[in-house]
Amino acid sequence: MRSGAFPTTAYDVLPYTRGGDVDRADVGALVRSAVDGDAAAWKALVEGLSPLVWSVVRAHRLSDADGHEVYQTVWFRFAQHLGRIREPHKAGSWLASTARHECLRTIRSLNRLTVTDDPRLLDRVSEERTPEQSLLDSEEAAAQSERIRRLWQEFEALGERCRQLLRVLMAAPPPSYQEVSAGLGIAVGSIGPLRQRCLRRLRARLDARGAL
Amino acid sequence: MSGHDDGVLAEGGRGPDEPDTGPLEEELRQAAAILDPVPAELRRLAVEAFALHDLDARLAELTFDSLVDALPVRGATDVPRMLTFRAGGLTVDVEVGGDGLLGQLIPPGPARIEVLSGPRPGVPIVADELGRFAGDAPPAGPFALRLRTGGETVVTEWLRA
Repeated sequence: MRSGAFPTTAYDVLPYTRGGDVDRADVGALVRSAVDGDAAAWKALVEGLSPLVWSVVRAHRLSDADGHEVYQTVWFRFAQHLGRIREPHKAGSWLASTARHECLRTIRSLNRLTVTDDPRLLDRVSEERTPEQSLLDSEEAAAQSERIRRLWQEFEALGERCRQLLRVLMAAPPPSYQEVSAGLGIAVGSIGPLRQRCLRRLRARLDARGAL
Repeated sequence: MSGHDDGVLAEGGRGPDEPDTGPLEEELRQAAAILDPVPAELRRLAVEAFALHDLDARLAELTFDSLVDALPVRGATDVPRMLTFRAGGLTVDVEVGGDGLLGQLIPPGPARIEVLSGPRPGVPIVADELGRFAGDAPPAGPFALRLRTGGETVVTEWLRA
């Protein structure tokens, strides 16, 4: 049960506005349109929320094969539950929570658990060229590419809690703290301070290496 | 621990109360878009999943999964997974093992069943008069059962086999 107190942003040091408030504003409307059969609305939901689902999956360090299946299962179930979701505007949290539970279910079947600590991950390039990837192709972007690789390397080397939290926070568009909470099973109020702490730590690691 | 803060303070010129961490998070977001994006194939599958939105079918919710709800059997590695789905008065018990899929409808009765693995048409099997059914191929990846029984369509919640 919720008390009458209006939630404040006191848990974050800065009044840092998560994109969630803006980008997620029409999620409820898109869900309702999709329920009515609007395929374009569904596609918009996939575009807007699949990075969140993917981030939650990646945060749990499943193998690629397991991660891919969890991702599919989450979207299949979302399609199935579409008309039954009680709070359509919280579809992001629903997806994040479902992804988390499917990840945990996978981890429970211990014999399937494999950890993604493959160093080749850093060299892996998606087959489809996104604008960001094409940018990396140009020579003048070589330095930028190196920066990104170092950043990723230091991020991967963070402790497990920080790595998990940041992996979900870096979904695009930025997820709301409710969505992060649903995806990781941590209290909304602890996300702000933990986020600051983890980013400070990452910054310190980068500075120590003279990168960025 | 690697938390030496002096470097941070000297460079950023901010107190520890006011770290400007937004830009760093944004850089991580860009890095993720390049180094660990949603695979295009998965995005496409999610778009196609809209076909699974079925208003006419009743949803049979997962109420038991031996993977989560039962204690593991020590030393046993190929124990079949037991699942129970419920939709109103109908219970669907399923065992998923190495040699396939075994099931029981309660109350017992015949049904036409489709083993779904995605938006495409699934593999048809039938439940006999006693509500028993069996499928040859163990489903790999996400699966659901669509049952037609007594003029009603019931679909089990999507799950990974």
